[in-house]
Amino acid sequence: MNQLPLTGIRVADFTWVWAGPYCTMQLAHMGAEVIRIESATRLCVSRLTPPWFGGQYGVNRSGYFNQYNQGKRSITLNLKHPRAREAALRIAMKSDVVINNFAAGVMDRLGLGYRHLVRLRPDVIGVSLSGYGDNGPLSSYVAYGPAQVPLSGMSALTGYRGWPPMHVGFSYGDPNAGSHAAFAILAALYHRQRTGEGQYLDMSQWECTMALIGEGILDYTMNGHQPERDGSRDSAMAPHGLFQCRDMAELVAGRPVDMWVAIAAADDAEFARLAAAIGRPELADDERFATLAARKRNEDELEAMVSAWTSARFAAEAAETLQRAGVAAAVCATGRDLAEDPHLKSRGFFVTPEHGEIGRATQAGIPWRMSETPCSIRSAAPLLGQHTDEVLRDVAGYSPVEIEEMRAAEALK
Amino acid sequence: MAGPLATLRIVEIGEMVSAPYAAKLMADLGAEVIKVERPAGGDRARTRGPFAGGRAHPEKSGLFIYLNTNKRGLAIDLAAPRGLAIFERLISNADALIHNLAPAEMDRLGFQYERFHRLNPKLVMTSVAPYGLSGPRRDWRAEDLTLWSDGGACYLNGARDHPELPPLTAYGYQAGYQGGAHAAVATMGALFAAARGAGGQHVEVSVQESVASIIEMANTFWPYMGMVLTRYGPKPVQPLDIFECRDGWIFACCVEEHQWHSFVEVMGNPEWASEELFDERFKRGVNYDALRPLLADWIGQQSAQDLYHRAQARRVPFAPLSNLADLVNSEHLRARGFFVDVSHPQAGAFKYPGAPYRLSRTPWEIRRPAPALGQHNDEILGGELGIAARELEALRREAVI
Repeated sequence: MNQLPLTGIRVADFTWVWAGPYCTMQLAHMGAEVIRIESATRLCVSRLTPPWFGGQYGVNRSGYFNQYNQGKRSITLNLKHPRAREAALRIAMKSDVVINNFAAGVMDRLGLGYRHLVRLRPDVIGVSLSGYGDNGPLSSYVAYGPAQVPLSGMSALTGYRGWPPMHVGFSYGDPNAGSHAAFAILAALYHRQRTGEGQYLDMSQWECTMALIGEGILDYTMNGHQPERDGSRDSAMAPHGLFQCRDMAELVAGRPVDMWVAIAAADDAEFARLAAAIGRPELADDERFATLAARKRNEDELEAMVSAWTSARFAAEAAETLQRAGVAAAVCATGRDLAEDPHLKSRGFFVTPEHGEIGRATQAGIPWRMSETPCSIRSAAPLLGQHTDEVLRDVAGYSPVEIEEMRAAEALK
Repeated sequence: MAGPLATLRIVEIGEMVSAPYAAKLMADLGAEVIKVERPAGGDRARTRGPFAGGRAHPEKSGLFIYLNTNKRGLAIDLAAPRGLAIFERLISNADALIHNLAPAEMDRLGFQYERFHRLNPKLVMTSVAPYGLSGPRRDWRAEDLTLWSDGGACYLNGARDHPELPPLTAYGYQAGYQGGAHAAVATMGALFAAARGAGGQHVEVSVQESVASIIEMANTFWPYMGMVLTRYGPKPVQPLDIFECRDGWIFACCVEEHQWHSFVEVMGNPEWASEELFDERFKRGVNYDALRPLLADWIGQQSAQDLYHRAQARRVPFAPLSNLADLVNSEHLRARGFFVDVSHPQAGAFKYPGAPYRLSRTPWEIRRPAPALGQHNDEILGGELGIAARELEALRREAVI
């Protein structure tokens, strides 16, 4: 059995930017045939966003697009054109899953709404992955993934002590909604496998993001308490934070890159191991640090002592020394650290699929392994419209003459 | 109506966040989840706050309650031979086992997939591990902070104007949630394959890799351009930033050119906005040091809610910064029925964050509160596995259960 979990499952992917593409990439990893419906008249934002391969701009050269669209096909349809809308409908009717992240009502106006599709294909799974969900007073509002971090309540909980609320540093709302959507789609496919029934999934990125701070929300609903921001500290562990190490020796973009090591001591025994590893074994018996309560009271002083040790070392060296002593520690990894990480390399996490324009670039792979249905990056991200003709022919059933007519009518831009 | 996974039986051995969150996602869609804990103390999440009422109590942990509502609970000592034998009976008729025992602990307990596969060929066994089950860091000690760091997320966040401050982790247990979400996806894929005749299999999920998968452009900037993204360096596109208003905070968000133009109109077309420095999204990224004070000055005079609605009226995707009270009081979330009333025998009644998705035919639903440690020992071991009352008593005496 070398079939993949989703072999034979087709996904018509009308999403763009990141949340939807991250979702459909999970499905592509598992063997689904994912067809991204794109248009040169409205290029996906991710094709217009750096990094550019080799520093040279181009719609097929973005690392952002190429990372999150691996294993998919791309067709360009100018949906303002009626013949393109007809082609899109034909593709949707041949698909098991039809997913979009347009604002509410757009798919209906294009004649691709779930209510219409389900009459043509009763077992279709329709998915809307919007910022706010399908109903409620804000359902027409637009949202991007980075806005979900403050909107969800996560920013109010994240930040240095006594400082303003902070972001988390990347557009977290997107991939998180994408993985939750992929899970919900798989659950709906499972139900369909058992019963033959399709259904409609109304997904809200906002709600998916709030799911990540559930225990914080419960502090408010149970106790009326809004937790204080407390940097990277933890009420149950000390030390627990980022400690500065020696800068990376080489310059990146003209300046040294500052390096940090993350350290967490879960209990008194782990703190004793940490104290010994940094050459201060006496701290484990020092009443200022022997217990968690004492360490929390004297945390500034404690952190200064740990920093004094880390600042003389490279981050990888510090992490390895502490791990040898049985202390949770890790490099606060940069993108370069990840790319050069011997652990990730030994696991084969990064892949170099052959791409139609840039050749073999390093991309992040799949964070899971399956023993019997081995998922893999089956192809690099598609060029814009790379599969237009073959999808129109093989999936939508158009003849070469019809395809040429549509192209001449500018429906395939 | 029952959930889409109502026919599935899942056994979970989960500590803290990753495996418990994966099993929670399945329980909330109808799967029967049996959580197996150590009799001595149970899941470490029980020791973590916030606690209902503010005082530490193993049945009042908000973290445990959030992640384990809808599950039934067993307390079994897997290190005892008789405990392990009971566990094997449990998974003999389960569809999936989801666990996050450390790889070394798996070795000690003899938790090999092959062994469980012989007992139950259709079993999907999902092992969630900080660094996966192979490689030089397989046995590294990890906490959420170290994984968020080692996956490349932590380095991206911090005070833009204060590079002397350390990188800043995100609230809570984000590495755990991401490991859990990806584990749920992979497990569900394997269960779907099993339903189509593939049989059981072993699924391995690395939390570090789950984090390294979601860090936006940070995982391609190095291989594509030889550049490292930092918390203080320029971002490609701006504004994507939090600003203080006169009565709160707002996230200003202009990704596409038309959104910036509409925002400039909302600001009343100030003269500076037409300067060449800012006339294109990448220039606004490069010249953000000049742009930010201008934006901060104008936004600082606005009301957050008013600016939010004015921007959205022009399809500019701003969002206000919510405190927890704002979420619970949100009319929109109320109309969506997001918060669900949950009543727990020891933690009391409270609102619980609900469904992140609505499935038209097969609902997300809360069916039972989080289990007390070992709450369902008699019900499952006696009632369902048919272990005699006297034997249960002996097992209890010997602290096997």
